[in-house]
Amino acid sequence: MFWENIKLAIEAMRTSKLRTALSLLGIIIGVGAVVAILNLGASATENITGSLAQGGSDIISVYPNPNERTQSIFNIQFGLTLRDSNEGIDYVIPVMNSHGNFKSKDATSSSNYLGVESTYFSTQKLLYSSGSGFTAQENIDANQVVILGASLATKLFPEESPVGKNITLLTGDQGKMTTFEVIGVLKDKEQSYTMNYNDSAFIPFNTFTRKIYKITSVSTYIIKLKPGYDTVNVTNQLNKFLDSIVGSDGYNTFSSAMIANIASQVTGTLSLFLAAIAGISLLVGGIGIMNIMLVSVAERTKEIGIRKALGASPSVIRGQFLVEAITLTLVGGIIGIVFGSGLSYAVTNIAGWTLKLSYTSFAIAVGFSMFVGIFFGWYPAKTASKLDPIEALNYE
Amino acid sequence: MAKSIIYLDNVKRYYLVGDYFVKALDGVSLNINEGEFTSIMGPSGSGKSTMMNLIGCLDTATSGIIKIDGESTNGMNETELAYIRNKKVGFIFQQFNLLGKQSALKNVETPLLYGGISPKLRKEMAMEALDVVGLADRMKHRPNELSGGQKQRVAIARAIVSNPSILLADEPTGALDTKTGHQIMELFETLNAQGRTVIFVTHDLSLGNRCRRQIHLRDGKILGAI
Ligand SMILES: Nc1ncnc2c1ncn2[C@@H]1O[C@H](COP(=O)(O)OP(=O)(O)O)[C@@H](O)[C@H]1O
Ligand SMILES: [Mg+2]
Repeated sequence: MFWENIKLAIEAMRTSKLRTALSLLGIIIGVGAVVAILNLGASATENITGSLAQGGSDIISVYPNPNERTQSIFNIQFGLTLRDSNEGIDYVIPVMNSHGNFKSKDATSSSNYLGVESTYFSTQKLLYSSGSGFTAQENIDANQVVILGASLATKLFPEESPVGKNITLLTGDQGKMTTFEVIGVLKDKEQSYTMNYNDSAFIPFNTFTRKIYKITSVSTYIIKLKPGYDTVNVTNQLNKFLDSIVGSDGYNTFSSAMIANIASQVTGTLSLFLAAIAGISLLVGGIGIMNIMLVSVAERTKEIGIRKALGASPSVIRGQFLVEAITLTLVGGIIGIVFGSGLSYAVTNIAGWTLKLSYTSFAIAVGFSMFVGIFFGWYPAKTASKLDPIEALNYE
Repeated sequence: MAKSIIYLDNVKRYYLVGDYFVKALDGVSLNINEGEFTSIMGPSGSGKSTMMNLIGCLDTATSGIIKIDGESTNGMNETELAYIRNKKVGFIFQQFNLLGKQSALKNVETPLLYGGISPKLRKEMAMEALDVVGLADRMKHRPNELSGGQKQRVAIARAIVSNPSILLADEPTGALDTKTGHQIMELFETLNAQGRTVIFVTHDLSLGNRCRRQIHLRDGKILGAI
C-alpha cells in the first residue's frame, strides 16, 4: 500500500510538473537555508578553532594608547604589575615596536622591527628555519643580534644564507645607523590578526631600549596565561584593572579568543538571519503544499469516489494524500539540500574556509521536509477522506 | 431453504432540498436470496440508483433496516461500510468509473489493494479476473485505449476480482450499443450461473425481461414484484 501510494504521488507530480515545481519553491528555499545554516555553522567553528590554535588561544596582547599623563605608567615594570594584580597570568613579555630601513649588502627593506625578550619566540610558537634565537644573557648584554622573518630574510638575502651576515638598521630623521648580526631566520608563519611575522625583524629588548631608542614606554605587553584559565574572562578582568589605572581610552586589549567570540557572534547573527528566512520559507512553502494538495484533492474528487466505492476506508484515503504531500516535500527537501550545500560551498569559498559538510544537517533537512509535509498535508488529506462517496462519484 | 443475502425493510431515503423532502426511496421492503438474478426497472428518477447505493453501502438510509449477508448495516461507521464495499459487493456503473491513468490490470487490482492482498497475488488474481471477462490480452491498456464494451468488461473484472457474493450493476449497458449491451448481459448471466447474486438496473425491457425476477420502481416505491 505504501509503495503504491508513493507511485501514485510521483505520477501526480509528473502530470503537473510546473505546478509542482512552483509549489516546492518555498520548501526548497527553506530547507536550503536550514542546510546552509548548519553547514556554515560547522565550517565556521572548525575554521575559527583552527586559526585559534594557530594564533595561541592563551595569549592576550595589551596595546598602550598613552597620553601625557599615562605615558610614564607603561614601562617595563608595569608588566610585572599586570602579572601580580591579575589572576591567571603566567608571565608578561614587554615588546617594543618600531619601523625602520634595513640594509644588507644586496638589498634594502622598509620593515617593522620588534624589541623582544628571549621567551617571545616560544610564546608566539615561532620556529626557526635556520640559526636560532638569542639567549636571556644576550638580551641582558644588549647584543646587536637580529632574527629575520621568512620573507624579510629572502628580501635582504636573495641568494645566500643570512645567518652570520650583517645588516644595518637606519632609524630616525638623522639616519642613525646600527649594525646587527643575523643569528636566526624564522619559518614562514601565517599572518595573525595583528601581526605580520614574515616581514618583521626581532632584536633583543635591551638592545632596542638602550641602543636604538632610549625610551621606557613599552609598545605591547604580551601576556601568557596559566593553563586552565579562560582567555575571555582574564581579558575582561584585565580590562577592568586597566580602566581603573589609565581609563578605557588609554589602552586596547586583544586576544584571538575575543576575535573568535566576535566571529561566533557574527555567525550567530548570520544563522539567526538564515533561520528567519528558513522559518518564513518553510511556512510559505507549507502553505504552498497545502494549496497544491487541496487543488489535487478537488481535481481528483471523482478518483476518490471510485476508490471509496472499491473499499478504500477514510484512513486509507487520508494515507494516500499524506504520503503524496510527504513525497512532495521530500523531493523539495532533497533539492533544498543540494541548493543549501551549494550555498555553503559558495560562502565558505568567499570566506576562505574549508567546507565541512555536516551530515546531521541533511538528516535534519529530511526531518523538516517530512514534518512540513505531514503538518500542511494533514488538512487536505482529511478533507479527501471525509468526502461523501456518492457525491464524489457523481462529481464531474 | 435459500439464504437471504439482501434484506430491506421499509427503507426510506429522503433528501432535504430547500424546505421540503425529496423522497428518493419511500418505504421499500425487499428480500433477495443468494444466487438470484434480479432486474430493477423504472423511469428515470424513480429511485433505482438510490436503492443500489444503499445496498452497496455507498449511502446510508434515512430510516428502515438493511441487512447484507445477514448483517445489519445500520449504524456502521465509514470504515466498516468500506469493508463491506470491499469484500461483499462489486459495483458496476453506467459510466464505468475506471481510474483513467491506470492500466486495466492496475484498475482490476485496486480492490485487492484495499483488501490487503500482497502485490504478487494481486496481479495473479487480477489477471484471472481479466481472463474471465475475455480481456487478458488488454491488461496493459489504459481505459482511453479501450472501447466502451471493453471498459465495462474491465469494470466487471474489477467487481468480481475479490470474489464478492453480490454484484450491483447500475445501468451497466446504458452507455453501450444494443449488441454490446447484450454481450455484457450474457457475461452477467454467466457470472450468475457461477453462483453470484446479481442485481441489474436497466431501462431496456428486452434485457430486463431476461431476468427471472423483475422489480419495478416508481416514485421511490416498488410497484409489483414478480
Ligand atoms: N443528492 C440528492 N439530492 C437531492 N435529490 C436527489 C439526490 N440524489 C438523488 N435525488 C433525487 O432522488 C430521486 C431518485 O434518484 P435516482 O435514485 O438517481 O433515480 P434513478 O436512478 O432511478 O434515475 C430523483 O428524484 C433525484 O432527483
Ligand atoms: Mg440512476
